[in-house]
Amino acid sequence: MRLIVRRLALYALTAWVAITVNFLLPHFMPGNPIQTMIGKLTGQVTAQEINAIRLSFGGGLNQSLISQYFTYIGQLAHGNLGVSITLSAPVSSIVSTAIPWTIGLIGISTIISFFVGTVCGALLGWTRGSRLDSFIPTATFFQAIPYFFLATVMLLVFASNLHWFPVLGAYSQNLQPGWHWAFVASLLRYAELPVISIVLGSVAGWMLGMRNMMITMVAEDFVLMAIAMGLPKRKVIMAAARNAVLPSIANLSLAIGLVVSGALLVELVFNYPGVGDLLLNAVQSQDYPLIQGIFLVITLTVLGANLLADLVYLWLDPRTRTEVAQ
Amino acid sequence: MTTESTEVGGVVKSDTPPAAPSTDTTRQVVASTIANEGAMGERILDVRNFSVDYGWGEGAVRAVDSVDVHLDRSTVLGIAGESGSGKSTLVYAITRLLRAPGVITSGEARFNLGSNEDGEHVIDLVTASEAELRSLRWSSISIVLQSALSALNPVVRVGAQFEQVLKTHRHDMSKVERRARAAELLGMVDLNEDRLDRFPHELSGGQRQRIMIALALALDPQLVIMDEPTTALDVVTQREIISELFELRSRFGFAMIFITHDLSLLTELADEIVVMYAGALVERATARELYEAPRHPYTLGLLDSFPPMHGERTELSGIPGSPPDLAHLPTGCSFHPRCPFALARCANETPPLIEIEGSGRSVACWLHVGDDGAAVPVELNRVSTSIASPSERVTEVSS
Amino acid sequence: MRKLRVPRSPKVILGLIILGFFGLLMIFGPYLAPYSPDNTSFAPLLTPSAHHWFGTTSLGQDIFSQTLVGARATMVVALVAGLAATMLSMIVGISAGYIGGITDDGLSLTSNVFLALPGLPLLIVIDSYLPVNSRSNSLVIGLIIALTGWAWGARVLRAQTMSLRNRDFVESARIIGEKRIRIMLSEVAPNLLPILASSFLFTILYSIGAYVTLAYIGLTSTSVWNWGTMLFWAQANNAPLSGEWYWFVPPGICIALVGTSLALLNFGIDEFINPRLRAGGLSGRQRRRLGLPRRQRLGLTSVNRTASRTPRLSPTTSNSVSP
Repeated sequence: MRLIVRRLALYALTAWVAITVNFLLPHFMPGNPIQTMIGKLTGQVTAQEINAIRLSFGGGLNQSLISQYFTYIGQLAHGNLGVSITLSAPVSSIVSTAIPWTIGLIGISTIISFFVGTVCGALLGWTRGSRLDSFIPTATFFQAIPYFFLATVMLLVFASNLHWFPVLGAYSQNLQPGWHWAFVASLLRYAELPVISIVLGSVAGWMLGMRNMMITMVAEDFVLMAIAMGLPKRKVIMAAARNAVLPSIANLSLAIGLVVSGALLVELVFNYPGVGDLLLNAVQSQDYPLIQGIFLVITLTVLGANLLADLVYLWLDPRTRTEVAQ
Repeated sequence: MTTESTEVGGVVKSDTPPAAPSTDTTRQVVASTIANEGAMGERILDVRNFSVDYGWGEGAVRAVDSVDVHLDRSTVLGIAGESGSGKSTLVYAITRLLRAPGVITSGEARFNLGSNEDGEHVIDLVTASEAELRSLRWSSISIVLQSALSALNPVVRVGAQFEQVLKTHRHDMSKVERRARAAELLGMVDLNEDRLDRFPHELSGGQRQRIMIALALALDPQLVIMDEPTTALDVVTQREIISELFELRSRFGFAMIFITHDLSLLTELADEIVVMYAGALVERATARELYEAPRHPYTLGLLDSFPPMHGERTELSGIPGSPPDLAHLPTGCSFHPRCPFALARCANETPPLIEIEGSGRSVACWLHVGDDGAAVPVELNRVSTSIASPSERVTEVSS
Repeated sequence: MRKLRVPRSPKVILGLIILGFFGLLMIFGPYLAPYSPDNTSFAPLLTPSAHHWFGTTSLGQDIFSQTLVGARATMVVALVAGLAATMLSMIVGISAGYIGGITDDGLSLTSNVFLALPGLPLLIVIDSYLPVNSRSNSLVIGLIIALTGWAWGARVLRAQTMSLRNRDFVESARIIGEKRIRIMLSEVAPNLLPILASSFLFTILYSIGAYVTLAYIGLTSTSVWNWGTMLFWAQANNAPLSGEWYWFVPPGICIALVGTSLALLNFGIDEFINPRLRAGGLSGRQRRRLGLPRRQRLGLTSVNRTASRTPRLSPTTSNSVSP
């Protein structure tokens, strides 16, 4: 349990840092962005809404920074992330309708990508020196392409030109959202291309990392022993892969942040109704409350995913478990 | 003590020209024996003219050079030498477990799987296919490594590692029977059954090595290879494990190849010992003879490097200098720069492994070649008290 | 100190060539561009031709010129960010690893927090508050990117420093009474060179991605041409769905190529750091010539009797004993 407690403390601290950065940024950036924004809004929205926006930044300017900070934290504790300027709705409700799309899209893509990359990487590592090695430069190239560019090309070629996939959005506009088969089928159909883009962009990273670890593991004595024991090849590879995958999972926490960062832009390319698309629209319309709210929600979600990855690691590596037991 | 195992142990560098007139006839005898010897009889492993290189082409380094070793059923062959002498390389290459860039460049390694009504089933490990090797591995030949921590899969429970081996090779066993067999094996090495539910890192070094030994015996193999199995352990544990090992051997009668740099340990537990230096055999004798009357200066040095397990304390002298660089071996006898008794010819001519006439033991050293006329130093001329035959004495006196 | 000898594998050579090409482009690109990237005097949306190698934008700008000019800002920001992040990770990583104790706890915690924070969303938030004149400043943008990209390097360097701390040569420097800062700089740092290089390449790779992404979502000044801005305009004018591939493919390919070259170089460094990753040393052709299998399989040691050299006991050496 000690490891989990330590990680929890780290994530709590990280969340606090994110919240504090979020609070301090608008107050310390040159040009007094809050005041400018409220100045621009005066006359367009009601005084009540301006008040709500002010509150989400910590309250009136006549108060001390410390008291503003506590007001801000208090607001967050009540789930109040402020009001979006452009959408004239509470940020929390806007984000909560968008976040399931993002979690679904990125979650599924990451799981697929991790599995495919790990399996391919294990095989590449095992067959090192064979013809399969010539595949590595190609994988490196895919690893280096920004996700959004890859997504753009995929969209152009496979959706726009070849019509293999639907073009934009998350489901057919002719359907009424709900838990019926036609809608779910459409949901899956529209998710295919975004998922493929994210997987293609991220799979090479898992694959190459796994290959390196696999090569390192194959040099270990216990793999030689598995062969000396006359185990079938499949089991020998599994013995090596089972150990090689551990560093990959340990690195999952770091990678989740990177994958999420990349995948957010894929939503923009496909007009997918997740937080990525929302964030980028907010950036373009300088909707600060929305930007900040989304940043916090993304950060908390990523931290949650990190914790999940830690639990998986703990479950797979008995050595960490003993350390905990001691 | 089996002395039969040394009967053909004369000169077997079959592809080399006669080294000395005295051994010429022996060589021919050996050659004809090979030709006629389809049957292996009691012999379980017969390795001839076995060479291993590291690397290829120009950069190749000869790590094992035309070595002949063999052992009979239920006997123990000890292989001794410093690190880098090629002793582990030899054994890993024989079992085809040697990693790249190791390459077998000559020889054969015939393994006797036993006989049935169709006759003997002999397989040459050097030409065996992957499938043949897999069926033979662990069920006929098993191996115990120096470090059990790295040899056991760190993320798999001990019990599951037994389970894996038994499931692969004993199809007729049920899950319950496999578990019972694993528990029985642990009992044989004095470990409680509850160790099966542990992970390797939760056990002590001695316990892990016992588990490796139990694993090695899981399928009742005919041959168990021990690659410095006790080097990583403290002396007390080492002692315990060795005595357990020999108890098990007398109970189950498997043959054993025991690799170590500790020659005095070997003299206690091996039937026959070969000593390797720079990839070549320099001496072969029964353990007793080797201990009481070493014939090669290197063997003498090795014996003096370790305290004897029993008996009075003696001063340890060791061997001056360090093991040679295989890529740049000295000319002539590889050992001559470190040899206290080196003769002039040792720097130019490589001594062949020749049988000391009539004794059944052989040595690769010019000191013992009669026509040179040099007197054998007294340290290398001790008379073995046990089985020294009159003929051997005669040879020594005459030289 | 180990001698730095990067393996001369085809991968490393290819990486060096590509990176060298874009390095030259960074320096000379703006002078080589046939037109001004802002020049709108050409016909809009021309497909690639001899006059306009990469065609023109919907405003009639020459895309080839934009690509050449854009190389500089893209590479400069990546370089600034890469250097700053590496410096930061070096300072944090080596101090944490060498000094240990409470310093280590504090610094490790800081880098772990930065590792856990999702970098791009943080960048977006910071950047969205930047005044417009700062957004056109390569240095400012580079430093902000560095702030989100140093933590991984610090973690790796810390681990390596800790393993170096108790080595003989560091120990002896300490006994002689060398100053701590001197030991860190002259004894520890040189031995971290391969890892530093790897982490430098990695942060440059990250920085290019981050900068291009910021530009792509319109968070850098549109007055500075870089590959990300080109993609921003292409996306804003709906080029992907209108089939104007020549507008967004050139900058995308450039980004991917620079990234690939960095990753290829990293292969070389990885092989240097971890010898197990090095190939057996022979190409497929060499192996075939020597009669070896293309790949040596574990548990099936190769047998190659033709490679056998003459045994040591050659006829010449035993001549004297023969009758």
